Amino acid sequence: MTEVAQQETQKEVDLTAANQILDKYQDMHGALMPVLQDIQEAYGFIPEETVHLAAERLNVYASQIYGVLTFYAQFHLEPRGKYIMRVCMGTACHVKGASRIAETLKDRLGIAHAETTPDLKFTAEYVACIGACGMAPVIMVNDGTYGSMTVQKMDEVIAKYKNMD
Amino acid sequence: MVNLTIDGKEIQVSKTATIYQAAKEAGIYIPVLCYAKKLLPYGACRVCLVEVEQMKGRLIPSCTTPVTQGMIVNTMSAEIRKVRKTVLEFLLVNHVVECPVCDKGGECDLQDLTYEYEVVTNRFEGEKFDLPKDEVNPLLERNMNRCVLCGKCVRVCDEVVGFGSYSFINRGFETKIATAYDRGLDCEFCGQCVSMCPVGAILPRPFKFKARPWQLKEVNSVCGYCGNGCTVTFGTKDNEVQTIRFNDNTGVNDGNLCVRGRFGYSYVNSKERLTVPLIRVEGELVETTWDTALAKVTEGFRTAGSQLGIISGARLANEELYLLKSLAGAVGTGNLDHSGGECYKGLTEGLQPTLGLQASTATFPQVEKADAILVIRNDFYETHPVFGMVINQAVKRNDAQLSVITDKKGKLTRMPHARALLHKPGLEVNLLNALCRSLLDEGLAKIEGLQGLNEFQESLEAYAVEAVATATGVAADAIRQTARELAEAGNAAIILGYGLPYTAQSRELGIAAANLALLTGIAGRQGSGLYLCGEKSNSQGAIDLQILPATGAMGVGAMLQAAAANKLQALYIAGEDPLASYPDRALTEKALNKSPFVVVQDLFLTETAKQADVVLPAASFAEKTGTFTNAERRIQRLLPGIKSPGQAKSDFAIFQALLAGFGASAPANENEAFAALAAVTPGYEMVNLAMIGAQGYVWGGETLVPETRNLVPVAGNKELKARFQLLVGSCLYHSGTTSLHASGPMSVVSEPYIEFGREDAAELKITDEQQVKIKAAGGEITAKAKVDRRLPKGVLFAPYHFSSLGLNRIYQGQAAIAVEVSK
Repeated sequence: MTEVAQQETQKEVDLTAANQILDKYQDMHGALMPVLQDIQEAYGFIPEETVHLAAERLNVYASQIYGVLTFYAQFHLEPRGKYIMRVCMGTACHVKGASRIAETLKDRLGIAHAETTPDLKFTAEYVACIGACGMAPVIMVNDGTYGSMTVQKMDEVIAKYKNMD
Repeated sequence: MVNLTIDGKEIQVSKTATIYQAAKEAGIYIPVLCYAKKLLPYGACRVCLVEVEQMKGRLIPSCTTPVTQGMIVNTMSAEIRKVRKTVLEFLLVNHVVECPVCDKGGECDLQDLTYEYEVVTNRFEGEKFDLPKDEVNPLLERNMNRCVLCGKCVRVCDEVVGFGSYSFINRGFETKIATAYDRGLDCEFCGQCVSMCPVGAILPRPFKFKARPWQLKEVNSVCGYCGNGCTVTFGTKDNEVQTIRFNDNTGVNDGNLCVRGRFGYSYVNSKERLTVPLIRVEGELVETTWDTALAKVTEGFRTAGSQLGIISGARLANEELYLLKSLAGAVGTGNLDHSGGECYKGLTEGLQPTLGLQASTATFPQVEKADAILVIRNDFYETHPVFGMVINQAVKRNDAQLSVITDKKGKLTRMPHARALLHKPGLEVNLLNALCRSLLDEGLAKIEGLQGLNEFQESLEAYAVEAVATATGVAADAIRQTARELAEAGNAAIILGYGLPYTAQSRELGIAAANLALLTGIAGRQGSGLYLCGEKSNSQGAIDLQILPATGAMGVGAMLQAAAANKLQALYIAGEDPLASYPDRALTEKALNKSPFVVVQDLFLTETAKQADVVLPAASFAEKTGTFTNAERRIQRLLPGIKSPGQAKSDFAIFQALLAGFGASAPANENEAFAALAAVTPGYEMVNLAMIGAQGYVWGGETLVPETRNLVPVAGNKELKARFQLLVGSCLYHSGTTSLHASGPMSVVSEPYIEFGREDAAELKITDEQQVKIKAAGGEITAKAKVDRRLPKGVLFAPYHFSSLGLNRIYQGQAAIAVEVSK
């Protein structure tokens, strides 16, 4: 966990949203997955406090929840940036120089895989094939796709999102 | 029943059995790693693979496959041997082989199988695990590099203990057993995971490098702490108990133990044990001989005569209590009592007038099959942890509906579908009355054959469900639903623990619980039961043997009052530390000061012993022969694992010597004493030692039928109006004050604390470990704060075990103490 993320998770977490989600699923059997998904939706990640809250209210063990959270790649235990920079590392992108794209990201924003910038604006993620090999090397920023990436184009994309809120 | 053939042998087994269980029953060996008798089948390790004629083409895991009629099973063939060996090779790819320094060596399932299957070389190569050891806690060492991922620790912690410390985390090669957020263990430290681990991945740290398993001598005895009466198997070497061995073949506990049972043994080896008699000379306690000490005691008791008060602990064996009672007779005093004289009144003055009994009506294993369970006080889990595990199994495996009448949350209230009737402190009786009222209002009460119904009904006038709901803070629907479930359940249980910190309303609670047991038909019905469980290992024995004041004589309270008023000549305190553990320390102090002659018999120089004129060094449970009667009336035998240190003598031998001093005859040994006590103790008449087998002997049978069925009106309590209310109770890691001398429990909870709920802590800006002052009538106490999730707003908790806290300066036996908090 990065130091910033650690500080972030140790901050008081407002549990109102988590409580509302739990109200909805309180008496439903096997509700853990949707509860966690909704919590992630509401908070952007799964804060530890919400895990203990869910454990208490759903009568499941915190250890079990942690087991689920670490099993599925979809869950995030640290705060994540507003913009998720997914760098494709699939075969085609690999051949076309994905590692240089990743290096650029690391160089410009200081973040490697699963790391987040201190201002919580960007998170880097190295992913396997995103299914756009024709555009290799390719990155995604949230839902937007950028193909045939070069170091210069990376700078443009980063600048674009830096200037956005 | 199902017929099948295993290795050519024709076998008949229950249709619910698995192939593995059928083979085991028939004495046919199949290797296992992930299977355990008390856990649900899992099928993770694949070493139990067998061939089934009807399922040709693949190997079948015997531990998860149920038997079918006509099944033909082969447990060994060239193919099976090859596959099992391959499985072992796979396990050994990542497993760090460090058998020479591993404490599991000699009793490691993986080591044994590797040897059996001659896995000399490995055809596969791969990364060895290189995970950090969990060195945070002093009791359980976890070395995940040795883990084979059988999941037994995960399962036992969930299925049996109900704590849920462990889970599998991550995926693939990264998979490992960890706690939430992969931190160090912060759990009950019961060590169930140690007992289950087939390899050396989880080990008892106090036993590290102490002995190889084959060097240990094993002796089965009964745990000396609580009324659960678990079998403990001492592993002894060099006249010391080195560890407690896993044993699921004997006793009531299925091999389950709590932190005290598994790690609390060490006080018997303590260097602080008393080893010689002490006598007060010119104000100082000095060493003396047994002859001098006993002569002094005999003389003192003779002078006192009927002015002698005898206070006993509830950890003396039945045989010893019998002799103590004889001694009281020989001295000519009726002032005899135990355990503070107040807390057991739920039995003697609660169950006696209602059911005509002074004991629980059923046995622990029956609770596992209960459909509805009502626990009064969540603390029950803390005083009787292993019985608490039975409740967990009832809930998890048989979907029992658990309701808990309690003033704080805790493990029981967190169980699946548990209903917490979370009430304001001290109002348990009000809730029990409301449950009775609800049964009568809804016509669910089983009133046939009950005496005193009309008067009882009138007495419930003030306990309408809505009114009690408002007064206690519990939802009315929850009360009604609990009552309905208890009345409609096929099998149901009502459970209440008692002990020194629970003296308030003990009589009333007993009556109220008995009334409810009568109205629901629970009392005396096969499969159902009312349980009143004593705090100490022989609490029930002390009641059975009537270690109680004779008619017209004084109980503990009256004795202390009398002594404090200079009206008692001598006090004899055996196996108790009233200064530390009884409510109202000021009274005890005064009584000890004013009493002309005080004799204390104990293992340690307790605070009370320091005030004595003569101190007699006694033997611990691990050094004794005798019997304990546990909270379900099960008489079990104690066997000595070690010899007492120095000149310490068993309480039995001391009482024998004193009886001789009074010219009274005493049984020559414990066995004769048992025969003598059995002849005069109701329920024990037909029992002899030969009948007390591996499972003990339950006097009165599995179900004790009430002698009478009287409903007795009982008044509830009034709410204490105070912003902060302090509850006194027992904490899981300790039992009485003895565990304070045991390094295991002490390494987890080493000092007193005041527990705060999160809301109050936030409001008062109190954090963990911060020093807080608690002021109440009687004095002020200071301790570290512990912030937890258990307590509702306005409620504080303090464990009673630590004398240094001085809790009994402000605790006089109240249900809750009005306090002020400052920093």
